[in-house]
Amino acid sequence: MRQDPTSLYGFINAKLRARIGLMRESHIVEDLLKAKTVVEAVAVLRDSAYATVATAYDRTGDIQQMELALLYNEVEMYQEVSKFLEGKPAEFVLRLLGKIEVENLKNSIRLWYSSIVRRRPMRFRSEYLFKQKLLNDIDWTALINATNWDGVCKALSNTPYSDVVKEFTEQQLDDSGLFILENKLDRQWYEQMMASTAKLSNQDRLVAQSVFVVDIDLKNLLMMVRYGWYYKMDKDVLSSLLLPWGKVYKDKSIREFIQKSPQERDPFAVIEQLYPGLTQSIQQIPEEKKGSVHQDETITLQNLRIEAYLHERRKALYKRMLASDPFTIGVSLAYFFLYNEEDVMIKAILNGKYYGYEEDYIRGVLA
Amino acid sequence: MNLFTRPMELLTAVVLEEKSDAVVKSLLELGVMDFVHINKLAPEQMEKLSSRPSSISRVVLEDTRHRVEALLRQGQVALPSTDILDVKNLEKPDLDSYNVVLDTLGKKLLVLKEKQKESNQLVLGFDEMHRYINEDKGEYLDLRVGEIGHGNADDLGQRLASFGGLLEPYGEGKKYISLTLRRDVSQVSPLLDKFDWTESSDVEAQKMAISLITHRLEEEHRKAGMQRSEIEAEVNDLIKAESAKLISIWSNLRLNELSDQIRSYFAYTRNTTLFSGWVPTDQADEVTKAIFRSSEGQCVTEWTDATQVPRGEVPVAVTSPKLLEPFQKIVNNYSTPEYGTVNPTIFVMVAYLIMFGLMFADVGQGFVLLVVGLLTQLGYSKDPLKKDGMLSRNLSKLLPYLGASSMLFGMLFGSYFGLSLFPALWFNFDAVVSGHASTGSIRDVYGIMGLTIKFGIIVIYTGLFLNWINLFRKKDWLKLTLDKNGIVGGVLFGTGLYMGFGFVKTGYREFPSAPWVSIVITVSLVLLFLRGFLAYYLSVKKGGPKHGMGTVVMDSVMEWLVDLLEIFGGYLSNTLSFMRVAGLGIAHATLMESFKELSSLSSGVGAIAIFVLGNVLVIVLEGLSSGIQSLRLNYYEFFSRYFTGKGVAYEPVGLKTSFSAQK
Repeated sequence: MRQDPTSLYGFINAKLRARIGLMRESHIVEDLLKAKTVVEAVAVLRDSAYATVATAYDRTGDIQQMELALLYNEVEMYQEVSKFLEGKPAEFVLRLLGKIEVENLKNSIRLWYSSIVRRRPMRFRSEYLFKQKLLNDIDWTALINATNWDGVCKALSNTPYSDVVKEFTEQQLDDSGLFILENKLDRQWYEQMMASTAKLSNQDRLVAQSVFVVDIDLKNLLMMVRYGWYYKMDKDVLSSLLLPWGKVYKDKSIREFIQKSPQERDPFAVIEQLYPGLTQSIQQIPEEKKGSVHQDETITLQNLRIEAYLHERRKALYKRMLASDPFTIGVSLAYFFLYNEEDVMIKAILNGKYYGYEEDYIRGVLA
Repeated sequence: MNLFTRPMELLTAVVLEEKSDAVVKSLLELGVMDFVHINKLAPEQMEKLSSRPSSISRVVLEDTRHRVEALLRQGQVALPSTDILDVKNLEKPDLDSYNVVLDTLGKKLLVLKEKQKESNQLVLGFDEMHRYINEDKGEYLDLRVGEIGHGNADDLGQRLASFGGLLEPYGEGKKYISLTLRRDVSQVSPLLDKFDWTESSDVEAQKMAISLITHRLEEEHRKAGMQRSEIEAEVNDLIKAESAKLISIWSNLRLNELSDQIRSYFAYTRNTTLFSGWVPTDQADEVTKAIFRSSEGQCVTEWTDATQVPRGEVPVAVTSPKLLEPFQKIVNNYSTPEYGTVNPTIFVMVAYLIMFGLMFADVGQGFVLLVVGLLTQLGYSKDPLKKDGMLSRNLSKLLPYLGASSMLFGMLFGSYFGLSLFPALWFNFDAVVSGHASTGSIRDVYGIMGLTIKFGIIVIYTGLFLNWINLFRKKDWLKLTLDKNGIVGGVLFGTGLYMGFGFVKTGYREFPSAPWVSIVITVSLVLLFLRGFLAYYLSVKKGGPKHGMGTVVMDSVMEWLVDLLEIFGGYLSNTLSFMRVAGLGIAHATLMESFKELSSLSSGVGAIAIFVLGNVLVIVLEGLSSGIQSLRLNYYEFFSRYFTGKGVAYEPVGLKTSFSAQK
């Protein structure tokens, strides 16, 4: 029997709202930034929800073990929220774990690639991977120990990733790297998520799709600038890489952009049409840097600006979700967003502190 | 213990600027002054005053203190308590040298942590291989037995180590076992070829290779693990060795923070310093003497009685003995009482414990609560750094009281882990609930309900009585007499009770028809109606705003109607709300009866297990429900009668002022 939204979301949304309230009050990120060293930064985590991360550091002194502890926390968080839901929304939340699975798979394949194709010993690094079951029965041990690409394919044979990995050969990967493969894995996840949203109630579907669409727009926009313009990617490859949803993909100017020869492509005209405020911000970069900026740095800064712009849009979207109907999947999605935002910040700051960067520099990168 | 909030006085003092440091120290040592900003002087006087920025920002002091705390905690050293603070040690903080100490220690720690990371990576590598051996996943391992043709074995061992591999000698000559991961075979094979590695065909050697290399692997794993732990201990030792220096820095930083906090309230003229703050009356003399002594008599002090200041501006200090601490926390959690009113802590304690005891009456289960509470407290006292668990520090202090109350009521009701081991001192609750009571003053569940309702009436009347005392002290005669929680409200509540009990007495057939009832109700309602008009009249008389007659009438009528609803509906529901005490008590007895029944259906260990599990379940679930319901009855039924919660907490600045370990 289908539950009404009030009883389905009443408890979990109240719980998540309380947590969101605590997150907003928390000054953990600010305190981490102020810490002079990674040792002092860890002290900030000690009495927080990230106590396990501090313990990992005490025990190992290893920043990557801290990242693994953060990953465990994140997985537990999704599983916990899912337990408080029922039916399709619970399945949908579990499906979101697929993103972590895909990222973990990409990391595993990168390690494998580095070890087997590029011949850099993997050594202990495989122990930083998450090896428990997330969504699918991936034989992580077999994957990282595969001595050839067939071994990797076999380790993924009972999973939805099988078809994607089988499209590639070891030689192809050796020649052109992992970019296309990783992109296809991402794309597959988006396909699964968009299909999963279709099973939700009308209201939940609209909320969930609006979230994914903003995410997809960001990916497509970055793809267009970075690969379509800067790396001058071929139109067929570029078309196959764009995710087929969202405002950016559907815009006519995008198709025109792709069809043009790489030398004639102008991403800023397209951006101007889609996001008028963003073009100005991107074009100001050389002026802000007083003209001395290298082209590689320009593209990085442009990407950062685009990411920051769309991140703000996403933030606004989640704020709207929290202010609208309290009995939808929106509160959970907003919570995941805020949780991930904090998680990413913590990882970045801990790494920054580990490598000895100054507070201002880290702030600049995170801004 | 004072039944009311502590009387306060406002001190305004002027001291010579050159003596201000000494004054700060003496005030800090006394730690009884709740400072206020001097902003209520005449503007022409204010113009002559100035504030002075601190030479060192308090934020910097705090940040540096947090750095010290971070290092201490990294070394598992307990943070210093305020007991170590001594104003005699207060000196100008040398932040540069402090930072040098902290940076140097930080650098040493980073070096150690880097080494610990390397050990950890070794452990991880060995873990992986060891796991494959244990899980019989030999297909991921590359185990070879053979001989080195040329080159140095140590050299080969080091090169294999770069793949996380091991080289173990066996037998005589240049015979070795090599263990690496199969995924590295494409690099390991050419490496072994360089050393002219020849595979051995010795079957015996092949057989013993796995046990030999496993032994070596375990040895290496143990060594790396030990090294990792040793470095962790080294980190702790290093910090412990520096802890005296760190604590001394911490102490001076904290003293300077507090000193700066006091100074932030000071105002200055060219040669003098002016400050003001609230002090409990019983400590006023002590403060005067301290200021006089530290300023060497070059001061002027003036005391203002709290009655001359709006009540809402006077900070509220309550004194409760340590024994009442858990209940003081319950009150503080709700709000701060108004200045000059009753401190409700002792009443909360009595009401809370009786409510809990009535709902959770059992000697055995109460004893468990008591022991759990004491053991949890012991655990926290042994490990001050321990994070609050499900049984927090506060709860662990409350549990022994709850346990004792539960035991007392258990004896009164004759319940010992749900069994009637001894006769009840009052009446057998379980027997009443199960319908078998033949003796005692209460013999059915209606009797239990009646008992809890009577208890509720006592609680409500106690609340009303406390309210009347508060209003009397505040000289708020109108509210004292004509408010819903005033005397009129109390009279109406009493009349309602008379009617209700009379109705029950006649077997729910008719209300009592005493002639005074209608007179009392009519007079009370008229008085209540007049209250709005009187309140308006008094407000205008005191210079309050004037309104049109229509507005006044409408306001008064609306207020009257709301009051009537609250009196007739509110008092009734508040009283009946106490039936939950009976409900939970009955549920407690019923659950225990059910577990006894279940236990009797089994025998031996099974019966004992059911009995024990039943008790555990009841202790956890019923204990929690009873605790929450008691809290709810106190906050809503009791506090709503008299506790305004409009007070401002008294927060003196002193050495004991709490500090945040987290930023």
